[in-house]
Amino acid sequence: MPSATDLPSTRRPGLQALRRRLAQTPGSLALPAAAALAGLLLAGVGLVRRPPPPIQSIPPGYAALVNGKSILMSDYMAQTMEVTGASYDDVSPAVRAKVLRDMINEELLVQRGVVLDLPETTTEVRDVMVAAVNTQVAQPVLAEPVSDEQLKAWYTAHRNAYTTEGAMDVTDLVLHVGGYENANQTIAQAETDASEAAYQLRSGADLRYIMDHFGFVDSHRTSGLELDFGAKIHLGAQLFNLASTMQDGQVSDPVTEPDGLHVLIMNHRDTPRPAAFDAVRNKVYQDYRDARRQRADQQNIALLRRDARILIAPGLRE
Amino acid sequence: MKAWAALLVALVAAGYAWQSHRAAVRRLQAQLLQAAPDAVIRRSDLVKAAVTEATPLYARYCAACHGDHMQGNTALGAPDLTDSHWLYGSGSVYDIERTVLYGIRSGNPRARNVTDMPAFGLTGMLKPGEIRELVEYLLMLDHRPYDGQAALAGRALYLSKGNCFDCHGTDALGNTDYGAPDLTADVWNSGGDPGTLYQSIYSGRHRVMPAWRGTLTLEQIRALSVYIYAVSHRLTLH
Repeated sequence: MPSATDLPSTRRPGLQALRRRLAQTPGSLALPAAAALAGLLLAGVGLVRRPPPPIQSIPPGYAALVNGKSILMSDYMAQTMEVTGASYDDVSPAVRAKVLRDMINEELLVQRGVVLDLPETTTEVRDVMVAAVNTQVAQPVLAEPVSDEQLKAWYTAHRNAYTTEGAMDVTDLVLHVGGYENANQTIAQAETDASEAAYQLRSGADLRYIMDHFGFVDSHRTSGLELDFGAKIHLGAQLFNLASTMQDGQVSDPVTEPDGLHVLIMNHRDTPRPAAFDAVRNKVYQDYRDARRQRADQQNIALLRRDARILIAPGLRE
Repeated sequence: MKAWAALLVALVAAGYAWQSHRAAVRRLQAQLLQAAPDAVIRRSDLVKAAVTEATPLYARYCAACHGDHMQGNTALGAPDLTDSHWLYGSGSVYDIERTVLYGIRSGNPRARNVTDMPAFGLTGMLKPGEIRELVEYLLMLDHRPYDGQAALAGRALYLSKGNCFDCHGTDALGNTDYGAPDLTADVWNSGGDPGTLYQSIYSGRHRVMPAWRGTLTLEQIRALSVYIYAVSHRLTLH
């Protein structure tokens, strides 16, 4: 068995010398052994010793400690004044005591919520926390001044988003498939009828005649000229999207909706036009600030992701 | 040998004196927090201890915005802390402490954040000419030279379309619940020349002060609040 002096020559000279001295000095293990023993003893004492007693007194500046969590004196005073609407000095001891009791109760419930892992499991708690972080991130961004030039540049870059509100006067005919008027009609028959009705309307047929002949009725979803936002609510997204592309006098192809087959007749259309900057200043300002806020949120998320350790299960991806 | 003994005694005495001094300072610091915020100012020893402790803290944490001598900085919209005008509260130690603890629009849920100054011009709520009339009205309120007709029109705007009265009050004396400044006091956080007043109305203001709770200890925040109070109220330290 090699001795300490037979160590390979790759070891550092200082270490070799130390090992050589330890090997040559009688009782050289006594000191490390004593140190190890002392360490074990200290660790043992630490294990069996009673834990330090809980804090029995309130540090200055605090109104209460609840399981070690503090309620600041300043917050307590603010809460008392908010609840009572009076200055702290004018509030009776009984009311002050109630305020403190309520604050302690609230703290206990919050602590219980943490124990129950509410931030992990409760959507409302998570939403509030996300909103609070985003608000915090947004404040310095919102403090940055905004100029007319910045707003005009934004408006120019997003011109399509700034238009006047369009308007439409549209008749919405509906054919209730298999309804009272058409009890024996199949869907295929109804589609054929609706296509034929649209064709005849485009050819100049009388509206009343078409309605009577094919069994169409007015859905009454719209009435007269309506601004686009109102027409969208009344017609629903599918029919509105179709209507917004139509021009005066145009008749649409049949569209299937849950209540039947619809044919639209555009009586009059005012299409949205690009809005002048001054007409939409407020919206441009809000959009510009929202975009800044969103950029701050994204930068914050990027920072959090950079410092986070995220593992994703095999086969999944973001 | 005697010299060594004397040196030892001197060292022990110096150590004892130092310890006694530290203990006295710690006692005062504890009392600074134990006392109700506005009771501190009735005890000159506490005020003195607070000022001693807060002076370097102010230089480190506050002077960058509020200036070396608390004179404020209009470029940053940081208020002058040496006068008797307060955006929030009445300037009591308690009010100052709340602001230092949680800041203004800091994002802390307890921050002072009721409202901010809207951008009346940028959003098209007021036209440039109307803003100029409002500026003339503000000049009139401050007893500075002004255009009478424009100021009259400005006052009408102040009380109607501009909605200025909603925060600053019909008497323009401000509202310290909202942080709306007194417009009659000729104290302007962002500058009071006509051009800056125009800019404040046109582009709005959204100033932010950080919350210092967490960065500073409660006792340091109390000391700073007392210090600011002492300077603004011209307390004499004996």
